[in-house]
This record gives sequence, C-alpha cells and structure tokens, in this order.
Amino acid sequence: MISVPLLLPALGLILSLFVDVLVMSYLQLLISFGLFLSSLYIFFRKEYSTHFYDLFLVDPIDSFLLLSVALLELFVVFYSFGYVRTEISQGISKRRFKYYYFWKNGFILSMIVSILSNNLGIYWVGLEATTLTTALLIAFYRSKESYEASWKYVIMCSIGITLGLFAIVLLYYSTAHVYGDSLKALSFVDIMASVQKLDRNILFLSFILALVGFGTKVGFAPMHNWLPDAHSQAPSPVSALLSGVLLNTALLGILRFYQINEKAGIAYAGNFMIFFGLLTLFLSSLIMLRQGEYKRLFAYSSMENMGLIALGFGVGGYGAFGAILHILFHAISKGVLFMASGNILSLLHERRMEKINGLFKDMKITSFVLLFGLASISGLPPFSTFFSKLYIIIGLIQKNQFLGILVLISLAVAFSGVFWQVLPMLSGTGKGEREKAIHPFMLLIPALMLLMLIVFTFYTPQAVIDVVNSVVRELRG
Amino acid sequence: MEKLASFFALMVLVFAVLNVASPFLKFAIRLNMLQSWTLALYVLVVAISSGVFHLYLSFLATIVFKGILIPILLFRVLKRTGKERELDMIMSIPSAVVFSGILIVISTILVAKFGGLEFIFGKFVFVSSLSTFFIGGMLLVIRKVLFSQILGLLIMENAIFLAANSAVTGMPLVVELGILFDIFVSILMASVLLLRIMKSFEDIRVDALEVLKE
Repeated sequence: MISVPLLLPALGLILSLFVDVLVMSYLQLLISFGLFLSSLYIFFRKEYSTHFYDLFLVDPIDSFLLLSVALLELFVVFYSFGYVRTEISQGISKRRFKYYYFWKNGFILSMIVSILSNNLGIYWVGLEATTLTTALLIAFYRSKESYEASWKYVIMCSIGITLGLFAIVLLYYSTAHVYGDSLKALSFVDIMASVQKLDRNILFLSFILALVGFGTKVGFAPMHNWLPDAHSQAPSPVSALLSGVLLNTALLGILRFYQINEKAGIAYAGNFMIFFGLLTLFLSSLIMLRQGEYKRLFAYSSMENMGLIALGFGVGGYGAFGAILHILFHAISKGVLFMASGNILSLLHERRMEKINGLFKDMKITSFVLLFGLASISGLPPFSTFFSKLYIIIGLIQKNQFLGILVLISLAVAFSGVFWQVLPMLSGTGKGEREKAIHPFMLLIPALMLLMLIVFTFYTPQAVIDVVNSVVRELRG
Repeated sequence: MEKLASFFALMVLVFAVLNVASPFLKFAIRLNMLQSWTLALYVLVVAISSGVFHLYLSFLATIVFKGILIPILLFRVLKRTGKERELDMIMSIPSAVVFSGILIVISTILVAKFGGLEFIFGKFVFVSSLSTFFIGGMLLVIRKVLFSQILGLLIMENAIFLAANSAVTGMPLVVELGILFDIFVSILMASVLLLRIMKSFEDIRVDALEVLKE
C-alpha cells in the first residue's frame, strides 16, 4: 500500500510533461484524490512496519504527516485548478504554466519520500530534492525579487541541509560500530532498537547539528532570513504548500534525532528545542509588527507557528499532543490565508498592504475568508487551532510558568500584528465588485477549509486522537 | 598505504586553502576540480586497503559527478556570465589565509576531544575534513560574488564525503548515489538561477541582491 502514495505523484510528474496544462489540471484532481484516499487508508489501517528492504517506514507520526500533506495538497490542487485559469485570463502566458504541475508533483513526491523514509540518508535525499523542485516554482514569476528569493532559498537551504548531512554522518560513525557498514546503520528503526550501545556524546553532537541544519529549512531564527522571501514570492498555492507542510517535513528530521536522544536518556536535548522554538516565536512575532506586504506577514506567521510547535515538542506531554494537532490545523489555516492572498494578488497585482483598501466592497467573499483565516491562525474559537494552541500552552505552563507567560505575550504580539495591519485593507471605499474575474474554486476551497477547521473543533475522530497519543508516547522514548 | 591516504586527505585541505587564496574564479573552479579528484583518489585508497567493493563504485561516482560533470557545468556557466576575473572579498587574501589557518587549529583541538572514535587512517583525515568544512563555510561568507557561494557549498560537501570515509568505509551505496545526484542537480539549479540573475540584474555580486529588504 505504501507504494501508492509514492507512485501517484510520480505518475503526475511524468504525465505533466506530455499533457496540456488545462487537461493536466483535471488529471491532477484525480491523482491528488487518489493520493488522499491512499493516505487515509494508511492512516486508519494503523499497520506500522518497514517496507522495501527497510528503506521506508510507516509509523504514527509518518502517517499523520502524510495525511496532512495529502489533505492540503488536495485543497491546493482544487485551488490551482482555478488559479491556473484565472492567471491565464489575467494575461500570463500558458507556456509559463507548462512546468507548474511538473515541479509541483516533484515537490510532493520528494516530500512523501522524506516523510515515509526509514533510512536517514533517504530522508536527506528527499529533503534536498524538495529544495530543488521548489526553486524554480519560487522563481515562477521571473521578477528580480523572485530570482533573488529563489537564490537565497537554494543556497541557504543547501547549506543548512549540508549541516544536516554532517549530523547523519556523525550518527553513522557510532551506529556503524553496532551494525557495521550496512544500510541498517542508517535505518531509524534499527538505531532506536540499539540506542543504548551508542556513544552519547556523538548522539548529542549529531542532534545539535541536525537542529541547526534542518532547522534552517524549518525556519528557526536566526537561520530564517530566506523564509519570508521565498514564501512570499512563490505563486500562492505553492506558498500554501511551502508554509503548510514543507516546514513540518523538515521538522520531522529534527524529531527523529530528538527521539533518538530522548531514548538514549539525553534529557537536555529538549531544552535546545525549547530555546530555538522560543527564539523563533519571539523574534517573528516582533518582526510581524512591522511588515509592509501581506504575504511576507503570513510567511512570518508560519515561522511563529513552527516556533510554537517546536516548543510543544520540547516540553512533551500535553505540549507534544497540541504540537502534533497544530501541525495539521496550522497547515489548513495557513492554506486558507495564502489562498486568500492569492485571490487578492491575482486581481489587484499589489503586494503592499498600505496600497490596498476597500476589500469588503471589492472582494466580499475573499475578505471574509481572509478575516476568518486570520482568526483561525491566531487561535480564536470556534476554530480548532484554539485547542491545539491551548494544549501547547498548558504543556508549557506545566513545565515552567514563566515560559508559558512569555509565549502568551509573544502570541498576543503576533495576534495584534496580524490584525492591526490587515484590517485596514478590508475597510474603506471600494471600486465596485471585481470578484467575478476569479474562478469560483478559488473562493469555495478556502471557505471549505475554514469549515473543516470548525468541524474539527466539535468533532475530532477518535482514530486521530489515538494516533496522536501514540506519537506522544513514542517521542518519550 | 596510510601515508598515501594521509597525503590525499592533506591535499583536499590544501586545495581548500589555495581556493581561499585564489584571485580568479576560473582558477578557483580548477582547484575545486582537483580537490574532487584527490577526494576520489582517497576513496580509492580506502577501497583498496579495506577491500569493500561498493567503495570502488563510490570512487567512480565521485569522479564522474564531482570530478567531471560539475566542473564542466561550472566552466560553461562562468563563460556565459563573462565575469571570469572578478573575485572581491570582504577581507584581503593574506588575512583570509591566516583565518583559515586558525580554523585548522580550531578543528585540530575539536577532534582531540573525540575520544571514542576509531579512524581508518588515523585522526588526521578527520581533522582535514573538519577544517575543509569550516573553510568552505568561510568562503561562502567572505566572497562577494554569487558564483563562489556555489564553490563554497561544493567544498563543504567534499569535506563531508571525506568525513564519511574517515571513520567508516563510506555511506551505503544507495544513499551515496542519491546524495551525489542531489548535489549535481542542486548545482544545475543554482547555475540556471545564476544565469537568470545575470540576465535580469546584469551582475553576479552579492550586493546586487538587495531588492527584497524589510
């Protein structure tokens, strides 16, 4: 079964080379729906084992991340269906979109390879491939800004991931003593099985290198400066995927090393997660107060949420429980925000916030989606992000009250930063109804996602809770 | 055998230091190519002395990807940008060389702290790879030309390949081929971006990239 989520994006990758963009957008709907169904099957089947000579693995956190990727990708594909048509009608040539689906499928494929990998080397290969497949998507609009963003992205992330490779090599030093020079020495399951025999100093050193290296790709401060550029320059559906799920894929690498350290009894590893999480949360919430462009603002908000998730994993218990749920809920609500900003951008062609006003009159549905999306990213009820953030904060306060208060202050600053800057865009006199020019899918999909977030508040399937609980147990070693 | 291995490991480091001292981009690419070759020869020595078969394949893959394909690509890109001679640094060449000397000393001290590790050809190989790694990182920062950021990255990756062959006999072949292929594609991608940046900015200096600022 595990081969299906790997084969479907590969199929899309090949098909997109031979098929016209508009036809491909139909086929892509089918492919992504199949991907979603197969990941649902894997998620609910709960059969945790390794596959393909132990190169790939399904375990609770893998199946959870796979589901979040497939879900967001399904929404993004429906949105892209409208986005491609709207952009072409707005004067972007069809030839430009020729490789859009090619790179997007390559991106999804490499992300799934990373998520499902058991071998840490394969994880690395997949993660580097995500950088390469998204580089030209970020440079999609061929402006000076987008080239600059793409360059920074490729170089910064490659350096970060090179550090991550060093971490893997160091870990391999100590595991090769147990298993010899074989694939087993890099296999996560086998490393976990014999973790007590490994050199603790090397384990900790490799964790630190992985935290800094893969942390560059997660967007931890102070290695973050590529993130707002790249996420704001990419086409909006791609930004949604970058912010919503790619950051979590990079976080998975850190979690693997963290889990190994936890099991080896190196308790202070968690403190480093807390440190980087707090620094990221605090810095990004301050930067969010002074942003000129709405997409950059949302990109910083992704950083803020990744900081919060890292904090949750660092403290464990309720914190980790909330962090895992927040991975899914943040992915959906960040998708909503980037889709709303995609609607604004493709109609008004304006990135700066102070030059936009009267959205309530011009783009009624988009502005409501934007408003509720902001509410959901800030964790206001009735959106389910309220609960995931609440669990993280409970976990933090249990660990240390001072820490909890500091995080609450940062969240409040971020909240005010978002609302204070975006609300003026909505009010003011408009220039008349303009929303007809965009495809109905672009309005429908984000609204549907918001609805889903509300549904999750009142009803979360027991199976999801079970899986999340088993992830929390596994993380404790 | 051990002397030969140490010699090649030393040459990897020497080429990194020479790269810091090189005033021309074209020369820097040549040095990088030579570094990849000595790295491959080191892998060959490990292969012969340990008798592990997959290392021979890894030697071939290193020669093909790092020693031939990537330098050819870089030379072509350099020719198309037409900026073969420019190589500004934020510090002068002598001070950069002194700085890399300091980095070598630091990594020697660091490696001395690794008590529990056994190396195939002694600790020196790991010292060399660690200092090459640091020097690659330094090159990334101190040069003001975008092109040399690619070179810095390549040097760092060479250092990691050397490290992977210092205490153990290389990574498993599947992983190593994946990594080499990824590195090759990343250089390809960076070259494409570099050419496009050259076209729209008409410059490949780091200072030129200042459109996005906030």
